[in-house]
Amino acid sequence: MDFNPTMKHNAVRKTVRKFAESELGPIAHEIDRDARFPVEVIEKMQPLNFFGLQVSREYGGAELDTTSYAVAIEEISRVCAGVGLCVTVHNSVGAFPIQRFGTPRQKERFLPLLASGKAIGAFCLTEANAGSDAGGVETTAVKDGDGYIINGTKIFVTNGGVCGTALIFAVTDPENPRKAASVFIVEKGTPGFSVGEIEDLCGMRSNPVSSLFFEDCRVPAENLLGREGDGIKIGLTALDTGRIGIAAQALGIAQGAFEASVKYSRERQQFRKPLASFQTIQNYLADMATEIDAARLLLYRACALKDSAKPFSAEAAMAKLYCSTTATRITNRAVQIHGGYGYSKEYDVERYFRDAKVTEIYEGTSEVQRMVISRAVLSKLT
Amino acid sequence: MVSELPWDAHTGTLKRELAEGMLNPACSHALEAALQVKEKHGGHITVMTMGPPMAEEVLREAIALGADRGILLTDPRMAGADTFVTSYILARAIEKMCPDFDLVFCGCHSSDSETAQVGPQLSEELNVPGAAYVEKLDLEGRTLRIRRLSDNFLETLEFELPGLVTLTTRHYAPRYVSLSGMQQAFEHGEVAVVQAADLKLDPEFTSRKNSPTRIMDVFAPVAQNKNLVMKGAPKKIVEELLEKFDDKIGGAIGKDLKQAT
Amino acid sequence: MMHTKPNIWVFGDYRNYFQNRVTLQLLSRAADLAPKMNASVGVVVLGSNINEYANEYIAHGAQKVYLIEHPSIANYRIETYTALIEGLVRKYKPEIFLVGATAFGRELAPRLAKRLRTGLTADCIRLDINAEGLLEQTAPSFGGNLLAKIVTPVSRPQMATVRPGSFQEIPHDSSRQGMVIYEPLPRKLPAERMRLVDYERKPQRGQRIEEAPVVVCGGRGMGSKNKFKKLFELAQLLGGEVGATRPVVYAGWADPDVLVGQAGKQIKPQVLFSFGISGAIQHTAGFNNAGFVIAVNKNPNATMMKIADVAIVADANQFCSALINELKKRIRNERR
Repeated sequence: MDFNPTMKHNAVRKTVRKFAESELGPIAHEIDRDARFPVEVIEKMQPLNFFGLQVSREYGGAELDTTSYAVAIEEISRVCAGVGLCVTVHNSVGAFPIQRFGTPRQKERFLPLLASGKAIGAFCLTEANAGSDAGGVETTAVKDGDGYIINGTKIFVTNGGVCGTALIFAVTDPENPRKAASVFIVEKGTPGFSVGEIEDLCGMRSNPVSSLFFEDCRVPAENLLGREGDGIKIGLTALDTGRIGIAAQALGIAQGAFEASVKYSRERQQFRKPLASFQTIQNYLADMATEIDAARLLLYRACALKDSAKPFSAEAAMAKLYCSTTATRITNRAVQIHGGYGYSKEYDVERYFRDAKVTEIYEGTSEVQRMVISRAVLSKLT
Repeated sequence: MVSELPWDAHTGTLKRELAEGMLNPACSHALEAALQVKEKHGGHITVMTMGPPMAEEVLREAIALGADRGILLTDPRMAGADTFVTSYILARAIEKMCPDFDLVFCGCHSSDSETAQVGPQLSEELNVPGAAYVEKLDLEGRTLRIRRLSDNFLETLEFELPGLVTLTTRHYAPRYVSLSGMQQAFEHGEVAVVQAADLKLDPEFTSRKNSPTRIMDVFAPVAQNKNLVMKGAPKKIVEELLEKFDDKIGGAIGKDLKQAT
Repeated sequence: MMHTKPNIWVFGDYRNYFQNRVTLQLLSRAADLAPKMNASVGVVVLGSNINEYANEYIAHGAQKVYLIEHPSIANYRIETYTALIEGLVRKYKPEIFLVGATAFGRELAPRLAKRLRTGLTADCIRLDINAEGLLEQTAPSFGGNLLAKIVTPVSRPQMATVRPGSFQEIPHDSSRQGMVIYEPLPRKLPAERMRLVDYERKPQRGQRIEEAPVVVCGGRGMGSKNKFKKLFELAQLLGGEVGATRPVVYAGWADPDVLVGQAGKQIKPQVLFSFGISGAIQHTAGFNNAGFVIAVNKNPNATMMKIADVAIVADANQFCSALINELKKRIRNERR
């Protein structure tokens, strides 16, 4: 059991950190304040394979192992969680399902576009009446000749405002919604497909989250991913991978807040001493360091399992659960350590605090993660 | 200390600086210049670094950016070298591994000791013309034309290859490493390890012994202790400051700063 | 001919004289060190029409001037000058050879040291003679975070390049006496392999920051590129120069050539204003010998605030504006 990161992981970390600090660092505050998606930085990320981190080389991807992928997402999120969210959702649930379940033709059509970042990917599951209860999806895709007509509204779609392709989770057999859901690849510009207003959210504000509307939107049959009825399978597989990405994102947020807290504790003086000389603060920092480390190890264990083609659902759920709850705990503590300054927008920690919360909610709430984990626990024979 | 050279080539050698396992800024610019020469004229870039085994990481990074091969000079006997010895070892390595080199690129200085000495000393060791603090370079056939700013003199120099240049950070802004490049550099990048014995260095040779300079002490610069702290409204502090220290400040700027009465 | 007294030599770097005064600074230091070794102070000058420099150097402390004069070496040429000085050093065997860390000096000294198989310390800010009689060379090290004391125990000459501004020159005194030794240009001089195609003096950008009596440095605490620009207005009022920290240069708020610190310029102003700078050692290594330091920072615990003579706890921007306004009101007469 080797707990050491490899030289490659270190190299990936430094490379991504350098890019994130140079390109996102100076604008992170501003794009959060203005809820602006930084197109100019996205363009710089495209040739560097940020949008094809695990896509295979023949389609223009970097073919990175999962731990390297997690490191990359963490490092982006450590500086700017909103962009980290864009990248991980695009990779994990936008591109990966096509890589995994697509026909050679679909892969050829979509993966080079996605891997190059020319099209940003989105994954649409959530609806007004279907959040944790994925089976409550009401969007329909009715077969019509050599295509399908899609009707419905998807809400809270990450990357929604800029996506080039969207994977839509729709019911193909309305008689049997909980059995026959399917996934369709819908391209921007398809008649009947429109994008709603960008949501005004508490955190991750640089990410253009929006609703997607489908009104008699016709897609050709060749845009069906997998077969009719594969919806649940694809959805669950996608979310397993997505969990690793979100866990990495949450870890990055926690790490950023933690580093800021250490720095502040060293510099800020009260009662004629730096904060870091008080045991209370020392205890806080010790707890933060330990929790981040534990979160990190859970995450990398899930990555290692995935790369060895072993089942990793429960472990990915643990990683997502623990990384996200750690992020909210640590960012809360970070604001506290910064005192009044922590509450001010002049410091970054309040942004980390706001960004962290949603990591406990999207791609499966903490409660859903616990469902997955307890099922695994209770299904063991011994 | 580790130094780095990009080396171009029609065989280039690149030496890299270790500092935190990343190419130091000047060497990044040197590598970028080498990559641009390769893109324009073709050629083969060898990257060379001297340091502990973990220095391999910078070679992989260089390969990810487009270098063709990496050479790691690593040996306990090489540790603790000053620039005199470093340039000696590098020269022997270049002669052995890249005997037909055309152009050696170095960063003008490394980010740890920033002596800027290895480049010029290396060109002496290799007995090739070498120009330091190059800002722009152009290759035409076997003639290299360089432009540089040296003590307020803008110089344009020319020489025939083989030669050596050290690059400033003024131009050749380094490109970012792509993640695909990084993956491939680690997957199948060519990195050779060279030790003191491979270079046929004298069996008694160690860097520490053979370096003509010796570090006697390393210490932190001393900070002053007492100072005057001023707080309050900026306007009031300005007035107080100029009143208390009008002599010092006024003296330095050659003007009278007393308040008009 | 061997001199019986040991020699401390300085390279006469006269290009850009009058602003570039590093040779005078080195002569001054050499003159301070010479009595400890019972040595004489010499300076090496190469070029064409250089007698005026010989006289200047004597007036500023040189006891001997070694002159090679010839029209073919009118311009600084690195390979030729290295070969010529190598010859002089082998002939006269100086104990110590100091070179100013100008761009030329930083190319010349390592080549010379390599040919003479001797040690060289770069960018020294202090020179002393230690108890063993060795030249103790203090130079920044390890990324500028620390200072190192270095000696060259065995090989000779002990060589160092020295940062301009590290020492104070001896005032010009035309009554000082010195000897000029004319050395001939060797007949068999290897040809320069580098052809000089073009050579032009770049117009000076005003005074150089290394020589400025007042420097206004700004850091990230200024807030933005636009706010940073105000420092230029302040510097102009004070007749000084603007300096910057590395993050500021990387952010594009200031040019790399005004970077103050280990990787940039060493400054020696009489008064240094420091706005919104935390005081990372890479930066503070740039002004070890500044006279009077005034730091302005919102954070009273920043390192810069501890090492300054006056630490003003205020918003750097607001203070800069207030200072500019007040100075505009007050600046009237020339004092000198």
